[in-house]
Amino acid sequence: MAAKDDFIVEMSDIDKSFPAVHAVDGGQFTLRKGEIHSLIGENGAGKSTMMKMLYGLYRPDGGVIKINGKVMENLTPSISISEGIGMVHQEFMLVNDLTVLENVILGFEPKKGVKIDFEESRSKINHYVETYHMDIQPDKRIDQISVGEAQRVEIIKTLYRGANVLILDEPTAVLTPQECTKFFEILQELRNDGKSIVFISHKLNEVMDISDRITVMRNGKYIATVNKEDTNTTQLAKMMVGREVFLSIEKEKGNIGAPILELKDIWTSGEKELSKIRGVSFDVCAGEIVGIAGVDGNGQSELIEAIAGLRKVEKGQVILDGQDITNYTPLQARQAGLTHIPEDRNLRGLNRALSIEENLVAWRFEEKPYAKGINRNKKEIRKFAERLIEKFDIRPADPTVITQSLSGGNAQKIVVAREVDADGKLLIASQPSRGVDIGAIESIRKILNTVKKEGKGILLVSADLEEVLALSDRIVVMYEGKIMGIVDSEDATTDNVGLLMLGERPDDEEKEVS
Amino acid sequence: MTEKKNNRYVTLLLTLLLSMVVGAIFMFALGFKPFEAYVQLFKGAFLGKVNLGTTLQKFVPVLLTGVGFAVASKVGCFNAGIEGELYLGAITAAWAGHYLPKMPAPIHILICLVLAMIVGALWAAIPAILKVKWDVNEICVCILSTYIAKYFTSWLCNGPLSAKTGMPQTPAVHENIMLTQIMKPSQANTGLFLAVIIVVAVIWLLYRSTLGYKFLTVGLNSSHADYMGINSKKVVIQGMMLSGALGGIAGTIEVLGVYGYFLDNFSLNIANDGMLSSMIVWNDIRLVPLMSFFVAALKSGALSMERFAGVPRSIVDTITAIFIIFATMETLFNLKKKKKKEKVTTVSSEEGGKK
Repeated sequence: MAAKDDFIVEMSDIDKSFPAVHAVDGGQFTLRKGEIHSLIGENGAGKSTMMKMLYGLYRPDGGVIKINGKVMENLTPSISISEGIGMVHQEFMLVNDLTVLENVILGFEPKKGVKIDFEESRSKINHYVETYHMDIQPDKRIDQISVGEAQRVEIIKTLYRGANVLILDEPTAVLTPQECTKFFEILQELRNDGKSIVFISHKLNEVMDISDRITVMRNGKYIATVNKEDTNTTQLAKMMVGREVFLSIEKEKGNIGAPILELKDIWTSGEKELSKIRGVSFDVCAGEIVGIAGVDGNGQSELIEAIAGLRKVEKGQVILDGQDITNYTPLQARQAGLTHIPEDRNLRGLNRALSIEENLVAWRFEEKPYAKGINRNKKEIRKFAERLIEKFDIRPADPTVITQSLSGGNAQKIVVAREVDADGKLLIASQPSRGVDIGAIESIRKILNTVKKEGKGILLVSADLEEVLALSDRIVVMYEGKIMGIVDSEDATTDNVGLLMLGERPDDEEKEVS
Repeated sequence: MTEKKNNRYVTLLLTLLLSMVVGAIFMFALGFKPFEAYVQLFKGAFLGKVNLGTTLQKFVPVLLTGVGFAVASKVGCFNAGIEGELYLGAITAAWAGHYLPKMPAPIHILICLVLAMIVGALWAAIPAILKVKWDVNEICVCILSTYIAKYFTSWLCNGPLSAKTGMPQTPAVHENIMLTQIMKPSQANTGLFLAVIIVVAVIWLLYRSTLGYKFLTVGLNSSHADYMGINSKKVVIQGMMLSGALGGIAGTIEVLGVYGYFLDNFSLNIANDGMLSSMIVWNDIRLVPLMSFFVAALKSGALSMERFAGVPRSIVDTITAIFIIFATMETLFNLKKKKKKEKVTTVSSEEGGKK
């Protein structure tokens, strides 16, 4: 054990309240030089808030923050940066129209007279690139590089500003398994070089992979700090949630029936590119979950939108239970039996400014008994909402609460409740557990399995490969708008699916690849 | 929800007081007596049948255009063209009131009203259609289309529809369809009741009907609406058309209740006062009546303030302007609100953290 005084960061008894939320209550965190320290907890546990206080974005209500042994009061981001703290936010803070090089030096440009000294910047950046083997292309524009590369740019940017402490907020959420491995190698090199890294995550396997020490938070409270050697994922999960969790659901091969959804050679455009989806065909059968795996941005969203009537299908056919629903309006598609949990609940799934009941009734507000003519029947709506709230355990159980104030899990449950209750033939579940806590993930997965047992077809899209593997009967891997392969769940592993996600076929060619 | 509402009333009241204080400072600096001016303003707006009647008469078009503006804002449109809709509605009513053959008064009034609504609605549909089809900024189109409406009506009442009296006006409508005066000798008329009924109906429509639900949903989150199967483009056009129809009603009441004919350039920017009344109360339709009454009172009291206290009328416009500036600084009186905002940002960033 190292002596106490070589803590580079020490946060003790931190307290932070927002109106109505006690975000952090007695938070503890320490960081040594040259260690990777993971901060884990469910959403809303206070991890981000803790680190934002360290970075100077929020001011704590109580407690002491020490950086390099100095007590810091009135911390602001610029003081933090000058003390060597750097933060990589989950949403990258990069300017799309500038080059990688320009982004890195932005705000800290070396000058030659009044001009920017690009030569010096380049050599400085190259130094980081070589030391840590982060290959980036300094002259590409940000919108031309991949997500993984953008992340490396963020890290270089932080290092360039002199950071010794890197706070990484859920950095692996956007990476494929292979990119992750590479990313972890970089982190290890940084650590070996004496940098300290705070790794915020809720993916326990990764945390076990990379960390030296792990701090667990729950509901704003500090739970424990453990050495990696002394713990395991089960124990961590228990600490995070406060009880035993069962995420791995017994997968039962249901009675797979006739095809419910048939996609025949679908072509569609994206926002920027023509032909984002190029000739996708597959089926989803009754009583089956088909999972779409793929790195974000390889056409999954566009494909789902095309099926759901939100994006024009340029060529090909979408057939739902024998009925051609190609280019139906969203309402027609719903009436034909398509239900859809959209990937972004804040954009599409919910109207955040409206109440729970208004959101639950959102697609049938014109139907009887919820409206008579154009007169809405608030009583019936209330009854309907109360029924769903109870059935799906949405909290708070008050139908008039504005959804904006709900936690991610409960907000998502509203969407799930509305779509599952609509009782369609096919359920599209796009990122159903993105941004929700473990408890809600558990119940959402159970619901999906129930829907499957009822003999409906489910098309699941998730950026979380583990989720796809855990739930699906078949896995469709998409890469650059095409299907790289369709793998049966028995044959699927993180490795072979991960490779397909990168656009490479596994070497052993026996795999069923279409 | 209720707490938020109460906050709004308090904020509104404080804003009002503050802008009056600033107005007073102005007057003082210009060498007038602010207290006396305000007393005269108050008297001129409320004391006596004529004064109160004038306030009520001015209140009607401000109320209708204000509610009209607020309706458009519910579907996410900034209907800066409500003045144009008012003009076209007014001239339509003046035409129908004069040129249509004699018929029972209620039917004739109804026809004037409906025609004016249709014209106003169609005029407002233009910017809405351009907006949803080609993403043209509706404010630009509204401002420009208002010029067209004004010059077009000006040409009509000087040319084809002129009463040929030397004044730029249309011939008078039939005597029997004029709305009854209620507070003689002021120009207040039964149009007031009509306006109140219509505003109540609009509020019901927005908060109790399926159409209103569509308006709210589309205005708050059109992606959500589209995903739920509501055709957001159609709803935006409907919202703007309702807004324009309200402008048309305002014009009709001006013609049938006050003037009896269409007079070139008669409104003196009434619709702008309506717009401002709506914006001051954050386009909350339930507060618009309150605010438009206040604005109307300022307008009608200004004259006697000028007459008896010697303070120029335009000072009232200054007060209104200051009012708007303060009202848009939402956090001015509410430090708590500021904290709430902070919370909202954390929630959303937490949210982001989960992706």
